[in-house]
Amino acid sequence: MITDFQLRNASTLKKIILLICLVVMLIYVILILYPLFNMVVSSFKTTRQILQHPFSLPETVSFANYKTLWVDKGFANYFINSIIITVSAMVFVVIFGSMASFGISRYSFKANTLVYMLFLSGIMLPLKAAIIPLFLIIKKLALVNTRLSCIFIFIAMGIPSTVFILAGFMKMIPKDIEYAARIDGCSDFRIYAQIFMPLCASSIALVTIYNAVPIWNDFFFPLVFLQSEKFKTLPVGLSSFFGQNSTNWGLLFTGLSIAIVPMVVMYLFMSKYFIRGMIAGAIK
Amino acid sequence: MNGKSLRKTGTILMFVTPGLLIVVVFILMPLLMSLFNSMFNWNQLIRAEFVGLENIKKLFNTYPYKERFFNALGNNLRWFVLTMAIQNTLGLLFGYLMARRILGHEFFKRVFFLPVLFSIVAVGFLWGLYLRPNGLLNAALAAVGRTDLQHAWLGEARYATLSIIMVNIWRWIGFPSLVFLAAIDSIGQEYLEAAYLDGAGEWQVFWKIVFPLIIPAITVITVLTIIGSLNVFEQVYTMAGLDGAPNYATDTIGTLFYRTAFGSVDSGSPEIGIGSAISVVIYLMTFFFSLFSIIFTRSKEVEL
Amino acid sequence: MKKRMTLVAVMLLVISLVGLFAAGSAEQKTAKTEIQFWTWRPEDVDFYNSVIADFEKANPDIKVVQNAIRNTEYNTVLAASLSGGSGPDIFQTRAYGGLLTFSDSGYLENIEKWYPAVTNFPEAALGGAKDSKGNIWGVPVIGQTQLVYYNKAMYDAYGLKVPATWNEFLNNCKVLKNKGVTPIANGSKEGWIVETMLGSVGATFYGGNDFFNEVVAGKTTFEDPRFIRAIEKLGELKPYLPPMYTGVAYTDMQAAFFNEMAGHFLGGSYEASYFKSQNPDLDFDIFAMPGEKATDPRYVSVYADMNWSLNAASTKKEAAAKFLAFLASTEVANRFIKDLGNVAWAPGADASSSPFIQKVLELQKTSTPYIFLVGFRYQQPTGSALFQSAGQGFFAGELSAAEVASNVQRGIATYYEPFQK
Repeated sequence: MITDFQLRNASTLKKIILLICLVVMLIYVILILYPLFNMVVSSFKTTRQILQHPFSLPETVSFANYKTLWVDKGFANYFINSIIITVSAMVFVVIFGSMASFGISRYSFKANTLVYMLFLSGIMLPLKAAIIPLFLIIKKLALVNTRLSCIFIFIAMGIPSTVFILAGFMKMIPKDIEYAARIDGCSDFRIYAQIFMPLCASSIALVTIYNAVPIWNDFFFPLVFLQSEKFKTLPVGLSSFFGQNSTNWGLLFTGLSIAIVPMVVMYLFMSKYFIRGMIAGAIK
Repeated sequence: MNGKSLRKTGTILMFVTPGLLIVVVFILMPLLMSLFNSMFNWNQLIRAEFVGLENIKKLFNTYPYKERFFNALGNNLRWFVLTMAIQNTLGLLFGYLMARRILGHEFFKRVFFLPVLFSIVAVGFLWGLYLRPNGLLNAALAAVGRTDLQHAWLGEARYATLSIIMVNIWRWIGFPSLVFLAAIDSIGQEYLEAAYLDGAGEWQVFWKIVFPLIIPAITVITVLTIIGSLNVFEQVYTMAGLDGAPNYATDTIGTLFYRTAFGSVDSGSPEIGIGSAISVVIYLMTFFFSLFSIIFTRSKEVEL
Repeated sequence: MKKRMTLVAVMLLVISLVGLFAAGSAEQKTAKTEIQFWTWRPEDVDFYNSVIADFEKANPDIKVVQNAIRNTEYNTVLAASLSGGSGPDIFQTRAYGGLLTFSDSGYLENIEKWYPAVTNFPEAALGGAKDSKGNIWGVPVIGQTQLVYYNKAMYDAYGLKVPATWNEFLNNCKVLKNKGVTPIANGSKEGWIVETMLGSVGATFYGGNDFFNEVVAGKTTFEDPRFIRAIEKLGELKPYLPPMYTGVAYTDMQAAFFNEMAGHFLGGSYEASYFKSQNPDLDFDIFAMPGEKATDPRYVSVYADMNWSLNAASTKKEAAAKFLAFLASTEVANRFIKDLGNVAWAPGADASSSPFIQKVLELQKTSTPYIFLVGFRYQQPTGSALFQSAGQGFFAGELSAAEVASNVQRGIATYYEPFQK
């Protein structure tokens, strides 16, 4: 494509600059992959080995930690709870968030900025700050110790940033596309669902990852609201390895290695949509 | 005329209401209640008499609140400046390079976002390991013969916050990279083609065409950085604890707020009144700085 | 591609429907009374489960559900639950100021009503369970002591003896350093470790109970030369701490000691069982830090660490009280000593099962309260917070001993009445 870097005709200076940039990016890649490698390798060690030899390969590759975690400590159940809660929350974050973004970015109405700032307020303070009033509200709704409590909280936490990011992207879409669709007789909802959503695929993918990760890894709200064993999530289970005076690093790293897998899977799946976004832009 | 505007209102409501309702009930209401709490004195966990703005005044005027607050705020400012200067600039650079399909861009695209997927606990502990006195960073410095540069990265007041900020930048560069990548991608290819065919150089194309057109993305990143810098908590908590060790050098208004409002196991009971006052101040600052950013950049938005 | 998308979308929708509708709550109607028991010790879950098993055998109509919450989040989760009118039926509460957060708010039951035998517990224990009016809000469980651990194998190998004076201790450290061993494992990265160092080393130098009683009564302040001297003594340890010790964290310290890379560890009696579990071959013992002269009393700092409390809003107080009585019994106290290596307060507890605990009790004969926790952690800014941060500044070379003392004094004086005359 003409917009790719034309290396053949480029000046030497340009080539050198690009080379330096490439090296910087590669250094960053190494800085990313090493900790990942470190974490997974540590899951095969015992706590004492991790503390004594944190950087060396394990003497024996033993899956004992994995078995202890999954079977004895009931992490299979925690994993399922995490999946249920995260997926449920994310589905509605994307749906309600994109709908609200569409409403704000494509329609002008008097309360537009107010509504926008209301959504934005949601990110301006960590919800943790208001845990006691939040607990009272959840209690009034009789949702304490139910999965729904965390699902609603996570939906509420995900929507503000989603609206903020998506509204920004939706604004960049030229008006003629919308006019063309209206002239063709599309209803508002169809314009939203069949034109804007696909066009924003890459930003929706972005927003999904941006929100899914903190929701998946959050241990605070499930800790407060999910008190029964059968509802606990993965991060809550992991937090139990942090004793007051000792930490079970071996099992902790095993748990962290397991926990990152769904996130990586989701990410690889979503990353296709970055390409989609590019192609859609080109086809326009 | 009336029917049309009613339908229009109805449409807008349909799109906006579900999200707004959930956010109002589960976020805004608790936050308002908690801001309201700042106007009362508290007897441990029980609300006592109404005192209006007393708590906020106390926060700004009395020892030790004043000292801690401004110390923490200074650190938050460091967070913001360094994050903008390093994380977002590098992010823009990487995003641009990937949009222009530099060698290996498919690979980079996928790998750059990996650190975001780690749990903060993992990040905190792993980097804590590398930054230990006998950790990888110091070992690497020794290997190149620069033992004079070795430090207790998380233990010395001068380097502690800096180190934590760098770890956070490490974690998040991928995010602005991908946001800017998506933004630059969404610029119609035909505009860029036209510019290149007209003989414009890289630098010109970037500053005159690409940059103005991605201002909404820049707004998004800037505002998220402002909000993030004022609210930073998890990363500091994991790497330096709740009390701003060492000697408040890593303290941020987020950790100050949390230990004031909820108490800290090692050092004290909650003071809900002052804690809520801190949250009022955080909220107001975040609100106004974000608003200014948005207004400022909205005025610079360019439409096609 | 489209088919796969639809498949994924359907899968997601199904999962979210499960989330929304199969949610349900956990209450099940059984014939048993179910009580909720909360602790901040995830590492002791198995221990409590076996205690619970014994209790349930003796009381088949009661079921105890344990919930161990991470220590650093425990207070927040408890506060949120109790403020919301739910929460556990019986739970661990902190001692001293941390208890008052909940008792002053009216969330706890006056424990004398439910366990009258609590008044038989030692005064030192009840100090951590009472408020200023003398009401008792919990049954004391265990006490902790700040002392000095040393690696006996190293002492034997290098011909060292348990020091009788401060200088002998420093000499022992010098010898270890020359042999390439880190003399003292402690670092100052975490504030509370700095406070424990004061507890295990400083108490001998600021004059133990004399100073404590005077400063609590306001007859002297923290700028008393004795206290400043204690801080200066801590400073004399700097050459013997690990290199770049300001960056050495708690986990690193513990690992250095039980991996035999450090010869001494200044810390609490709660460390012993962790050391043993990580390195069963570790040959270690304890002593109290000696003073300048061999005849100086050698103080260890002691404090109450944990209470059992009942929720005032609980609907199952009778059952919870039964469990409370069981937990407070001598039988369970002995298990604390034997299995967890902790000094249990219950009258009649027998330490013969643990030579380590017997040694701790020996050292406790010359004990003084752990000064900031016991006397000055009731209001903000707590003495602990002030000393921890100033102490870190001291170890980093930013503050002098006198400045540390004045920081502490200034902060406490903002609310402590005896200092305000």
